[in-house]
Amino acid sequence: MKFSYCQHRHDAPDPKAPALEIKGLGVSYASEEKLALKDFDISVPAGSAMALVGPNGAGKSTLFKAICGLLPVRTGNIRVFGHPLGACHHRVVYLPQRSEIDWHFPISVLDLVVMGRYVYLGWFNRPQKRDIDIARHALKEMNVLDLADRQISKLSGGQQQRVLIARALSQNADLLLLDEPLNAVDVSTRQTVAEVLHKIKAQGKTVIVATHYYDQEEGRYDKAIYLKDGKKISGADHKEDPTHKDCDCT
Amino acid sequence: MTHYLTDPLQYVFIQRALVAAVIIGVLCAALGTFVVLRRMAVVGHALTHSALPGLVIAYLMGTSLFAGALIATVATALGIGFLARDENVYEDTLVGMVPNIMFAFGILLISTTRSFRDLFSMLFGNILGVTEGDLHLIMLIAAVSLLALFLFYKELKLFSVDPNYAKTIGLPVKLMHYGILLFLSFTVVVGIQAVGTVLTNALLVIPVAAARLLTDRLGRMMALSCVFAVISAIGGIYLSYYFGSASGASIVMFASLIFAIAWIGSKFR
Repeated sequence: MKFSYCQHRHDAPDPKAPALEIKGLGVSYASEEKLALKDFDISVPAGSAMALVGPNGAGKSTLFKAICGLLPVRTGNIRVFGHPLGACHHRVVYLPQRSEIDWHFPISVLDLVVMGRYVYLGWFNRPQKRDIDIARHALKEMNVLDLADRQISKLSGGQQQRVLIARALSQNADLLLLDEPLNAVDVSTRQTVAEVLHKIKAQGKTVIVATHYYDQEEGRYDKAIYLKDGKKISGADHKEDPTHKDCDCT
Repeated sequence: MTHYLTDPLQYVFIQRALVAAVIIGVLCAALGTFVVLRRMAVVGHALTHSALPGLVIAYLMGTSLFAGALIATVATALGIGFLARDENVYEDTLVGMVPNIMFAFGILLISTTRSFRDLFSMLFGNILGVTEGDLHLIMLIAAVSLLALFLFYKELKLFSVDPNYAKTIGLPVKLMHYGILLFLSFTVVVGIQAVGTVLTNALLVIPVAAARLLTDRLGRMMALSCVFAVISAIGGIYLSYYFGSASGASIVMFASLIFAIAWIGSKFR
């Protein structure tokens, strides 16, 4: 017997709809009047990889948080796989910046990755062998299976990132929103992340990556969206923008 | 030698106190684990001090002290949560301010009775004075709270380690936050019986802090915290019996001794 988490239905994705469709989106933080993201439109076809490029404070994390329901939508609307927000949230996974996790919490890497299965378990059900196997497989994909029993505070920055991606993989979502997954990680983690993103895309999943490193990785994405001060700008405007250098796009 | 352990057990009030101490110890340590890990120790402190006016009013009216303390702590918990929604009032300021107001109000009320005799047991607990009725209430509150912890253990774990992810998969995080405050209020009210308003937070925090030094797994930490809390509670009662010391303070000093040993032990791990 399953008791799903609050209000969230698990509708099947509409195969004909884009993975993500946003029209006239306006988002603000609860404590602010000013919109952190305004008049934002986007349509991301299923199975594509898209880069979200812009300096700090451009609105990249704000957009992800709005898509996940972490921030309220002030204007416009968001549809995920043809459904309104919340209708198929098990199909969407948001990979936050590492600083948003309490890495000193006393749990193992495997415990953290198994949390990716909770959305399917709902209230009262405990993870079963199948869930543990899925989590272990995700750790293997990220080349960190040997860390399964390690306490999460004992991970390096790159290992933390791999573990978070493993949790996202164990959720088996179709739309992955990755917030700066390549920030301050070692070369081998970057390579592993790039390989896994390629594999995810090959499986028909949709990936949107907020990145500071687009110029180095342009070939990995089907499209890039540029953001500045909460608004979409063109690629040409982005290159001319003096804050462009903040993006480490060397 | 064993008569030192068995002698006190001939008294019914000691037997009741020991049963109450074990239950209160387990409850405080189990919930205290999440209180400590969610960095809510200061909220526990606020709630313990806020119970005093409820206790005093109930005492003056001749009604249940439990009910009085419970109403005062729940009202404080919800009040802090409500006032904190105003961006110009910081939550940590409220947590620092409200308990002092409530505590002062409690002292003010009891000063009007011109009797400070009962104030001592409210402030510092009197587990040796637990009645049959108190014990039943303690058992009921502990059973409900521990059942809730067991049922929502998985969600509490996720909510504590990554609240944003918890929200994205649909967990009602605000409701869970208020739920923790509510059960914390229940636990505080039960803890007050053992160690009083001033020292209850110590029973919530010290055994958990000691366990945290010795393990980095949540389940083990919770189990160790419970063991430490129970040892402290029982040890404190025996200390109180043989040396005539205040029972609440003895329990807390026992817990502090365990923390000191755990701290030294952790340096040799």
